Amino acid sequence: MANTLVSVYDLPSDVSNVVRKLKARGFEDLTTYSPAPFDEIELAEDPKPSGVRAFTLIGGLVGVVTGFGLQIWMALDWPVKIAGKNFAAIPPMWIIGFELMILFAGILTVVGLIGLGGLYPRKLDEHYSPRFSAEEFGVVVNCEERDVAEVESLMRGHNAKEVTLHASH
Amino acid sequence: MAPPPASAVADAMNGPRSAPRDSQTNIDIMAVTKGFHWPWFIALMLAVSGVVMAAGALVYQTYVGLGVAGYQAPVFWGVYIITFVFWIGIGHAGTLISAILFLFRAKWRNAINRGAEAMTVFAVLTAALFPLIHIGRLWKFYFLLPYPNQRYLWVNFKSPLIWDVFAVNTYLTISVLFFIVGLVPDIAIARDRAVGWKKVLYTIASGGWQGTGKQWKAHNRAVLHLSGIATPLVLSVHSIVSWDFAMSIVPGWHATIFAPYFVAGAIFGGFAMVIVVMVPVRRIFRLENYITDYHFENMSRFILFTSIICGYAYLAEYFIAWYSGIEAEQTSFWLRAFGPYWFSTWFMITFNVIFPQLLWIKKLRTNVPFLFVLCVLINLGMWFERYVIIITSLSREYIPAAWGLYIPSTVELMVLTGSFCWFSMFFLVFLKVFPIIAITEVKELQIHAKEPGHVDGHWH
Repeated sequence: MANTLVSVYDLPSDVSNVVRKLKARGFEDLTTYSPAPFDEIELAEDPKPSGVRAFTLIGGLVGVVTGFGLQIWMALDWPVKIAGKNFAAIPPMWIIGFELMILFAGILTVVGLIGLGGLYPRKLDEHYSPRFSAEEFGVVVNCEERDVAEVESLMRGHNAKEVTLHASH
Repeated sequence: MAPPPASAVADAMNGPRSAPRDSQTNIDIMAVTKGFHWPWFIALMLAVSGVVMAAGALVYQTYVGLGVAGYQAPVFWGVYIITFVFWIGIGHAGTLISAILFLFRAKWRNAINRGAEAMTVFAVLTAALFPLIHIGRLWKFYFLLPYPNQRYLWVNFKSPLIWDVFAVNTYLTISVLFFIVGLVPDIAIARDRAVGWKKVLYTIASGGWQGTGKQWKAHNRAVLHLSGIATPLVLSVHSIVSWDFAMSIVPGWHATIFAPYFVAGAIFGGFAMVIVVMVPVRRIFRLENYITDYHFENMSRFILFTSIICGYAYLAEYFIAWYSGIEAEQTSFWLRAFGPYWFSTWFMITFNVIFPQLLWIKKLRTNVPFLFVLCVLINLGMWFERYVIIITSLSREYIPAAWGLYIPSTVELMVLTGSFCWFSMFFLVFLKVFPIIAITEVKELQIHAKEPGHVDGHWH
């Protein structure tokens, strides 16, 4: 039988503290809901760097290669000698190369956000509540039946203003 | 001691809950999107009328030909190119506020960044129309793109005009992405409180946003990276626009100062437009608690600073023209000040350099009606700045026998007016659909202020 405890808080410091304690006690199956971005909650829940940065880097590299590749190919495809310079003179290519680097990096960043953040129209979580888009915070923990009391105690010990249990059979 | 069975404690724990209360910030800011506001409706109707008028003028021009514009040898860049540069510049303040001030952790931006970002997107959308209008044959715009064709010809990648195509399209794309990414958490707030068709719209647009830790983590990183790439982008875009002129050898244009001069001018005009837009929005929708005099004062400081840079650029241009010893340059600048377009030049100097110096006085920096009037005049001054740069140089190139006089035609002026209406129309519709203030960013400051030990209670 799975048990889910949903707790509600007023302050981000309480959320970050309870998340740290819960994770230290081995309760990894937890989700936080926050009405605004707070670094302390992010660090408590998952201190690893976000994977979005890899998307930005890959996008930027693909963009700059595309920018130069496009221009070099087109310059060689229709060669015009200008002032004795190479057909594919590199210096003026930096501008398009730079613009495409930014363009691709931006698009891939958003792709990363959509992929890693699960941003697509879908059914909302069962325990999500509109109050988490007001000014309250939520911490939802899935745990075994034997751990319910301990988790509840941790939550209340960190100023949870409300703790509810949802037991599914 | 063994814990009690979950089912037994469930009832005890799930007692009567306090009724969830909504945040006052949500209520205040979402109120803008609700109800009917006469001033808003009248403004929208005027904007739509202006767009219809401009569309009529454009259809007429397309049917009859570009001859109905005021183009006359030797001036073939007129109001359309001036207005293109003007609107691209207007967009810059939005990116500066949302990206550059974000990187500098300037928290005061939180109340105005959404409005400024929306302004950027709609300004760039407006600007992007003008090169198409300017080429006359709208349906041939794709000649600007590098596409495989029967002539085996590619676009000239060494031309600043092609750099412009890439720069403006990249700027538009990144501005739209930045804008949407920032909006998503706020759309979720609207979704949780909406009914009917708005609920459907917000549910789709919020993309399943719930504010989970995983979502915020990805979102924060994406905003940081978009800010990081938008910062050099915004500086590059107006530099590239300036190179449309500076890469030529036309007297008055061939100057290395053009890129920083244009960027500073863009930020100057953009901030002025933010004030022009936000003053009536704040007044009509009663947002005085969120957009405070403090925000206007900070923006007016930016205006003062960039006005000084513009003044320096104007002086440097004149000095270099004199110092170069090149007669064509010297004549070009003499004619700017004392030739047939003297009015534009002195209008530009008066409202872009002299009047903004009044902002050294704190009382005037915090006087919102004064700021509004000043910023309207600054916007006019910035439009005239581009008029001076483009028209005075083209109309007086080298051989006096080839000189000419350019006067904007009625069709051009109708399209120019229509561009302001087009911009306003988008902005007014946006006001009624999405939150004009970044709710989550404001709440971040408000909630932090509630933490015990927090010293500064001001969320701005």
